[in-house]
Amino acid sequence: MIKSVQKLINWSRLKSPWVIHFNTGACNACDIEIVAALTPVYDLERFGVQLKGTPRHADVLLCSGPVTRLIKDRLVRIYEQMPEPKFVVAVGTCACSGGVFDGCYNMLSGIDEAIPVNAYIPGCPASPDAIIDGVTKLLKSFEEGEAKKLESSGESAVRS
Amino acid sequence: MILSLIKILIFPGFLFVFVLALAAEYADRKLYARMQTRIGPPWFQPFADFVKLLSKELIIPELADRTIFRILPLVACAAVAAAFLFIPVYNPESLFSFKGNIVAVIYILTIPTLTYFLAGWYSRSLYSLIGSMRVLTQMFSYEVPLLMAVLAPGILASSWTFSEVIAFYGSKGSLFCINVISFVVAVIAVQGKLEKVPFDIPEAETEIVAGTFTEYTGPLYAYFKLAMNIQTVSAAALLAAVFMPFGYNLGFILGIIIFLLKIFLIIVILAVVRTIFARIRMDQMVMFCWKYLTPLALLQILINIIIKAAAAQ
Repeated sequence: MIKSVQKLINWSRLKSPWVIHFNTGACNACDIEIVAALTPVYDLERFGVQLKGTPRHADVLLCSGPVTRLIKDRLVRIYEQMPEPKFVVAVGTCACSGGVFDGCYNMLSGIDEAIPVNAYIPGCPASPDAIIDGVTKLLKSFEEGEAKKLESSGESAVRS
Repeated sequence: MILSLIKILIFPGFLFVFVLALAAEYADRKLYARMQTRIGPPWFQPFADFVKLLSKELIIPELADRTIFRILPLVACAAVAAAFLFIPVYNPESLFSFKGNIVAVIYILTIPTLTYFLAGWYSRSLYSLIGSMRVLTQMFSYEVPLLMAVLAPGILASSWTFSEVIAFYGSKGSLFCINVISFVVAVIAVQGKLEKVPFDIPEAETEIVAGTFTEYTGPLYAYFKLAMNIQTVSAAALLAAVFMPFGYNLGFILGIIIFLLKIFLIIVILAVVRTIFARIRMDQMVMFCWKYLTPLALLQILINIIIKAAAAQ
């Protein structure tokens, strides 16, 4: 009973990832690509993706850009405002590793120095196709991980 | 006792209205998507959204009033679901019928709007505060034309009870077509009541994040979303019963089919309006409602009174 409810919950989480987009100091190229990925041309609503205005409603945080020291506190705050379970996707080379800004005195090198990241999408800028591919891969890995967790919990229940 | 419990909980009560609400959201989003030449969400999308929101973490802001913050979404849900119980579905008698139940339904349908205002007020967030102020301002502009438009058909029937209005127009053939002005006024006012484009000023995402629901997370937001969808269905059923009073005496299956078709028609109208318009400003909305909608609703009442006086002679 509990297992099937858990399965239903996992399915629903896979089917409706709501995203919020946050610019952490990018040059705006990745942001335009993220916005392009949400337009009717790519039609992400097929997969249940919706752009939300507030972190309180979102599941996936799309970050672009190396984190500037000014915006780091805001990024952490937005991350903490999101309810669990939450995912972070770093969009673009700068967000993954710092890119050309790596080593600057006013920059961190990548999102993962501020908050934990679940998926990295390289590219300068990352194209909408790459962003969609990255998000679906993130969801797939989440699905596999949850399925494994369910299986192992079932086995341990049988053993005990 | 058991029969009435089944009627309240399953059909045509809560379970029926729950399924209908999710179907209404799906129809709305799918039509919206098709009109933008995209595929749109799959049929289970509203259900998946609902289950996902229910399973998420619940965060209550530190400054918010914890009790009221938790109760308000349930109040909104209960109010709209209760309103549906008084509206006839497949026979002219609604589940609970009493004299003047059209007025009662309109008042019960006002409660969710007030809970949206209180939700924004008690969230203690700047965005929700602005949103809740806009909810109230908007309510004062659309509520008057809506009330006058929905009550106008009842003037001809000399009754504000669903069953009597339906019986009156049922015996008079196509007389209900005379109420077309107030039907248009009521559809526009319902668009404002449901906070859909062009009247989505209270939750304008590009201006005030998510309006009154900015601080609501997880299960509580799920209940608010459900309340909005049930409100769509309840308002559509209200318009269907008052302005399209036919097809209520044809038995169970045919009656249900005609009822669903009528609701679908109103949802199509709302979706088309949502697609072709952009959001307007608050002052434009208030001016439009008081300058054009209210006089039109008054005109309908005048026409109905004249016809009634002419028929009486």
